[in-house]
Amino acid sequence: MRVIVVTSGKGGVGKTTTSAAFASGLAMRGFKTAVIDFDVGLRNLDLIMGCERRVVYDIINVINDEAKLTQALIKDKHCESENLYVLPASQTRDKNALTESGVEFVLSELEHMGFDYAVCDSPAGIEHGAVMALTFADEAIITTNPEVSSVRDSDRILGILQSKSRRALNGSEPVKEHLLLTRYSPKRVEEGEMITYKDVQELLRIPLLGVIPESESVLQASNQGIPTIHLKGSDVAEAYTDMVARFLGEKLPLRFVTYEKPGFIKRLLGGK
Amino acid sequence: MSRSAPVRSIEFHPFNLSALRVVLDRADPAGLADELHKMLGGRPDRFSGEAAILDFSALETLPARIDWNGLTSLLRRYCLQPVGVYAVDEEHAAAARNKASLALFEHLDATPVSAPAPRASATTVSPFSLAAPDSASPPQADLPFEPSAAAPLVAGASVAPTLYIDRPVRSGQQVYAHGGDLVLLAGVSPGAEVIADGNIHCFGPLLGRALAGARGNAQARVISTHFSPELVSIAGVYRTFEQGVPEAFAARAVVVRMKSANGSGQTISIDPLQLD
Repeated sequence: MRVIVVTSGKGGVGKTTTSAAFASGLAMRGFKTAVIDFDVGLRNLDLIMGCERRVVYDIINVINDEAKLTQALIKDKHCESENLYVLPASQTRDKNALTESGVEFVLSELEHMGFDYAVCDSPAGIEHGAVMALTFADEAIITTNPEVSSVRDSDRILGILQSKSRRALNGSEPVKEHLLLTRYSPKRVEEGEMITYKDVQELLRIPLLGVIPESESVLQASNQGIPTIHLKGSDVAEAYTDMVARFLGEKLPLRFVTYEKPGFIKRLLGGK
Repeated sequence: MSRSAPVRSIEFHPFNLSALRVVLDRADPAGLADELHKMLGGRPDRFSGEAAILDFSALETLPARIDWNGLTSLLRRYCLQPVGVYAVDEEHAAAARNKASLALFEHLDATPVSAPAPRASATTVSPFSLAAPDSASPPQADLPFEPSAAAPLVAGASVAPTLYIDRPVRSGQQVYAHGGDLVLLAGVSPGAEVIADGNIHCFGPLLGRALAGARGNAQARVISTHFSPELVSIAGVYRTFEQGVPEAFAARAVVVRMKSANGSGQTISIDPLQLD
């Protein structure tokens, strides 16, 4: 089983949206996948995945032996393949209840259950929860917005990954790092309000896994509890589908990174 | 079985010593003890057993007698190891050798005494200043030495190990090359800090803080292939770039070094490097 942490340092850049879409994408490719919310006290993944009404037990219950892992895992209903499970965070417990040995136990149980991937949705910041989410990671998806503070925070979290992950402490092969740019607006990049993806990549110096365009459909999907990758025909869904394919080793050109001025007719009709 | 070379039980090899130069402008242990206490706030852990050379060049006239035992035990109390004296006459040198086993150093290929050591720079009026760790040539002894004997490098105390960093140094990370040079092969991000007692060589973008000669070596340099740091410092003299890095060397290859300006002040000079 591969453990993948979706992290960023900064809040609001799209970690949970990415975790939901990425885990769904892996499941749609036929991999048995679990997506785990590490944001104890501020859980959101269950909302984005649209399973908030089915939460009975959470990861803290499993760690404290108050529930079995199979009882806490919620099967996702959006994927027809039926191999995506959500493990919610606790909304009420203290975040220190998330212990390192507890997380290790949950991950080893998932491995025994035959999961191919565990996607860890990290909370914002660099505190306990974020460190727990990345401790056991084999790979990391660094979610970054095209603006300086997000890039700086991503750099910071890359440093923590290099110093606090289990792979770093063991001295084994370092965590494989991927850059994912989210909320990318080619128009605002063209106008000089945002940093280009090339500049971000130059600053962070890790391989680019994909660019997800800024889109209103993300908000709509979140409100409805549908992972964005299921929004058939939308730019966001296609960008996430490409990103999953690149993660699995396919070579695809980048899309949605250039701005095309709307034509005359489109402007008349009020298109954006 | 024939042995190729006779193994000697004792061998002599020339060796350059790296030591701290303790510049005194008075020689009485009691007065110096007070001064040291004031300077270091009674912190005996400021040093960690570095070799020290007592430099009397700042004294206009030496007192007739110097309390060598008092001086050495004072320095030992602050975890310095006195090994020699500099700028004393023959009579004093003989006394230092006999009473406190201190060797006479005739040359110190040294930085000027005015070079302020980091953190001690505020006390330039004190009779006690700590100059940079220097390379000092020990007195030339006419010992029989056979260069042909395949001399294994004597545990290279003067050749401090270079620290190589292969991955980018990220924001919030700090790398310190104790005693030696630091070679960075993947750049330094903004918000990261790289420090070396020797030189810093940075390949790739240098965007964070770079402090060379951290223990006062004013000869240290920062060499960078892509220069856009937040701060550079040589031996405690630093420069920030509030208005941005000047265009003449922003994102260029440069070398940063200490330049002695007129008078006592010292500044840092940044010069572009021609790489191709």
